[in-house]
Amino acid sequence: MRVGAGKITVAGSLSMAALCFLCLLLTPSFSSAKIFIDITSPQARKLPIAVFDFQGPKGKEIADIIRDDLTFTGFFVCINKASYIETASQAFDPRNWTPLGVDAVVKGTATLGSNLAATVTLYDTLEGRAILKKQYQAAEDLLRPLAHAIADDIYTALTGQPGVFRTRIAFVGEKGGRSGIYITDWDGHRMKKIGLRGSMVLSPHWSPDGTRIIYSAERGRQWSIYLLDFLRMTEKRVFTSAGINIAGNFFPRGNSFVFSSSRAGTPDLYTYSLAAGSVRRLTSSYGIEVSPAVSPDGKHIAFVSDRGGSPQVYVMDSDGTGIRRVTFEGSYNTSPYWSPTGDRIVFAGRQGGRNQIFTVKPDGSQLVQLTESGNNEDPSFSPDGRYITFSSDRDGRKGIYIMRANGESQKRITPRDLKAFGPRWSPN
Amino acid sequence: MKRYWVFLLVFVVAIAFGCSQRAITQPETQPAQQKEQTKEGMESKTPEKVTEAKVGSNVESVGSKEMEIKGQEGKWADILFDFDKYDVKAQYKDELTSIADWMTGHTGATLSIEGNTDERGTNEYNLALGDRRAKAVKDYLVSLGVPSSRVETLSYGEEKPLCKEHNEACWARNRRAHFVILGGGK
Repeated sequence: MRVGAGKITVAGSLSMAALCFLCLLLTPSFSSAKIFIDITSPQARKLPIAVFDFQGPKGKEIADIIRDDLTFTGFFVCINKASYIETASQAFDPRNWTPLGVDAVVKGTATLGSNLAATVTLYDTLEGRAILKKQYQAAEDLLRPLAHAIADDIYTALTGQPGVFRTRIAFVGEKGGRSGIYITDWDGHRMKKIGLRGSMVLSPHWSPDGTRIIYSAERGRQWSIYLLDFLRMTEKRVFTSAGINIAGNFFPRGNSFVFSSSRAGTPDLYTYSLAAGSVRRLTSSYGIEVSPAVSPDGKHIAFVSDRGGSPQVYVMDSDGTGIRRVTFEGSYNTSPYWSPTGDRIVFAGRQGGRNQIFTVKPDGSQLVQLTESGNNEDPSFSPDGRYITFSSDRDGRKGIYIMRANGESQKRITPRDLKAFGPRWSPN
Repeated sequence: MKRYWVFLLVFVVAIAFGCSQRAITQPETQPAQQKEQTKEGMESKTPEKVTEAKVGSNVESVGSKEMEIKGQEGKWADILFDFDKYDVKAQYKDELTSIADWMTGHTGATLSIEGNTDERGTNEYNLALGDRRAKAVKDYLVSLGVPSSRVETLSYGEEKPLCKEHNEACWARNRRAHFVILGGGK
């Protein structure tokens, strides 16, 4: 846009507006800068990066969070501070870095007034220049989100992909016989319990815009589906009937969701429209149909059925037609969930008497096992599809874990004294 | 006018080409002391304000208010099931017949059958399995003449184990249908 600015005077103001609009449309191609690591390639090498402790109060804390974020992705190696030649206060000089094999350098400052403020510069050592310069501001208690926002920008500048460092995970926690919904940052920090009544709660499901969750709870000898609105902090019962009612996830437009209900006798699958308050039946079989998961494009539903004699994962069109079986190995495969591109389904399958996390293509091919120890259940993908959260009892009491989508870097993120299950990654 | 739009189109294409070329041009290594440059769009003039919608810890329930309901337990022994199964075994025929007789004699009573599973398997599937177990027992009672309207079912899945050890002896006790009399049982 800057290029054209001088010449536009020939044209009238209307066409200038049109031109600006066209330029705006083209803007994304302008900023599609050099990609430092192609993380879509399976052979992506780890990019060596130096992240200085930020100068100023809380500077080390901020840098530690950024280093942890980048390291967990598996796409970066944070170079040991002891090997830095340059100091934080010295001007960036690529000649201090290229001999160390460092490709990118992050320097920043932090100041603490009424707010926490930070400035960040990301340098490309090969081109010898800054590729990202940005300032941030946040309330002091939002230091972690601020650091995650910086890590997101660094990640995007170097990979061309959006980061997920500000996302959260909702799950069910149980202490002293009472369970409730908890929300934590994806890295396990800032865990918070949302005060709900009720003794039994099942896996929460986020609305596509991240402002609401639906979940099932048993209250007054009745299983109902509840909608929790974060903006209003209100909870409303949206569906109940005799028998069980287990919420599945939302359709992409966020105005309806899928669920399993035994209102007509046996657990079958239904959709519920929040706007119309109407229910539509999708399946009718004698056995169990449960754990429905809508595909990212809204066109398919993966679910569990025992129609073949044992619980297995099936996929159907979202109107209930075209049912086909996806899993064939083993006699107990449950809890399916789609990857954000719809190219894989993650699920829990029993092997040798224990539940493990697997992924498979929706056509049933390319089965991959991701976990090995303990019982591992309730898997779901991060919004960028690069990570999976799940529950595991490998360390004793059941807790929430995260890992890369290829099974690497499995890590517990909830405390050991809390029984936790049913994690779902927030969409944003 | 038409010629003008052609000009405009060429102009726009030229800009697009020029700009995308700029993006892939790799400048030669610059001296470090030179004024730092950043690519257009990567440098922010105003600070990004990192905010967060506050998630409160007190949720207000709107609408429904469910009541805690307590019933009378322990009158009948639990009916046990095999792993991942929900068929009622023949050995429980006598017990179920006596329950049906009692229900016939206590027309004011409502019976709740609670379906449970062991801890193996996944929470949601187990909740469905518990529902099927409770329904299977209910169907049996209804076949013996108990009105369907006087028998409720409630599944707890694996969430309310009777026995908390991790072994088969314990799991066997947890795969059960449990009887609770709700009102009118005196």
